[in-house]
Amino acid sequence: MAARYDRAITVFSPDGHLFQVEYAQEAVKKGSTAVGIRGKDIVVLGVEKKSVAKLQEERTVRKICALDEHVCMAFAGLTADARIVINRARVECQSHRLTVEDPVTVEYITRHIATLKQRYTQSNGRRPFGISALIVGFDYDGTPRLYQTDPSGTYHAWKANAIGRSAKTVREFLEKNYTDEAIATDNEAIKLAIKALLEVVQSGGKNIDLAVIRRNQPLKLLESKEIETLVAEIEKEKEDEAEKKKQKKST
Amino acid sequence: MATFFGEVLSVYSRAVEEDDDDLDDENEDEQIHREIEEKREVHIAWCPEVAQSLEDSGSNKLQCSDLIIAVGTNAAGFLSAYVLNTESWDAVGHVSLWNERSRGSSRQSIALLPGEPACLFYRHRDNPAVLVCQSTCYIAEDQLFQWTEKVFGCLQKRGLSVMVLSDSPVAEYKTPDYLYGSAVPFLRSLKSSASESQALCPALEQPNILTGLPAAVLSHCQVHQIPAVLYQCYTDVISPDSITMETYKPALLCLSKLVKLEPCLSADVLRKFAIITEAQSNLYT
Repeated sequence: MAARYDRAITVFSPDGHLFQVEYAQEAVKKGSTAVGIRGKDIVVLGVEKKSVAKLQEERTVRKICALDEHVCMAFAGLTADARIVINRARVECQSHRLTVEDPVTVEYITRHIATLKQRYTQSNGRRPFGISALIVGFDYDGTPRLYQTDPSGTYHAWKANAIGRSAKTVREFLEKNYTDEAIATDNEAIKLAIKALLEVVQSGGKNIDLAVIRRNQPLKLLESKEIETLVAEIEKEKEDEAEKKKQKKST
Repeated sequence: MATFFGEVLSVYSRAVEEDDDDLDDENEDEQIHREIEEKREVHIAWCPEVAQSLEDSGSNKLQCSDLIIAVGTNAAGFLSAYVLNTESWDAVGHVSLWNERSRGSSRQSIALLPGEPACLFYRHRDNPAVLVCQSTCYIAEDQLFQWTEKVFGCLQKRGLSVMVLSDSPVAEYKTPDYLYGSAVPFLRSLKSSASESQALCPALEQPNILTGLPAAVLSHCQVHQIPAVLYQCYTDVISPDSITMETYKPALLCLSKLVKLEPCLSADVLRKFAIITEAQSNLYT
């Protein structure tokens, strides 16, 4: 059934599907996992690091990119498509600053990216962008924001979300564990992001990249040593929990 | 035929076969057809011991109780990793053929380069009635019948039971339900009516069909009432991949009754058989 309606982007199937857009969403699932958490005074982006070839410069394989000083995004899906979207977003951020003399709000730049993506689902001869993006940042009034876009051009605000390969598992973990206590402090929010990623990332901390933006501070990429320390803290907390449970059982 | 202007033209009638004219062209056509047929012929080459035992048996057939065929790189990789790496298998033959996609090597020796598409036979040293065939080369539709006839023509039909493992892209799998990412890769099975074994995974649902070598083998087994079971693995990865290979593990249960298998395999061994193509790993981030 799909075969006759999925070759052109501008063709609806009789039951209302745009198959090319849905297939683009499958392309997103081929990218590694990215998770975004909105805390009270911090926003966190965590990604599963891709394994880099031996001779490849690790620095050039980044899933987290700054769009402006106060906004950054992580993507999952086709690398080349992401590069184009990021470049257009960066230009728009600066253009906005020059025109309106104000930095963009996170919602504005997300809407810009989403509109760009939607345009490519309605044009002849062009395919949709095969990426989903998690866009985080602070507005100039100090509110933290997290938005997610997908290849169809829709965008929504989230408290916490995940995209990419095992997004469903991570989202279920976040639904259970995203509570006000869990994001009470900056450190706790960062640890929640790491815990969410550890659900699906093999071999622990060395395969995780983390970026944070604190209010009125620029984007900060955590070093691998800091991540390892946090992972060790999390494992110790887990062990302590297990010990307490065992003691409770025996008494 | 008389034309409007009164001249007479000799016109060839299609109702009558003209035997005299164009004889040379026909000969040439026939010759070309013959050459193409010869080029596309399927040849089986056995090693000297097997060729000898074929000659010694009166009917020119090998004693074979179990034939396991792997079609596709992931199925072949699974057998290489779990079954064929226990040093007790001998390479006993190969099938060489030519088609547009499979320009078979002109090398007649059995030792083909690893990774090259080929069709190889292996026999177990302690249990010589168990034959394994790994087919990673493309066999054209017109060659499938020849392949099946020639291979099964060398095997004793009585007591033979066949298992086929085959790869397929999940894009070919037709289902009304949405396939979540976690469901892929998965196995589906198909049996010939002579087969009494319990299938270890759900049967292939309609309207899905098999094509190519697995279909030819299963059809042959159905026609000749040979018990055969086929496991088709649907996967979303193009290249050989360790997770897809692990999906065939339920087949190990049947295989372990026949031959001694490697008890448990580390991921490194599997990775050796899986090829990570560079282009694929940089396409998606």
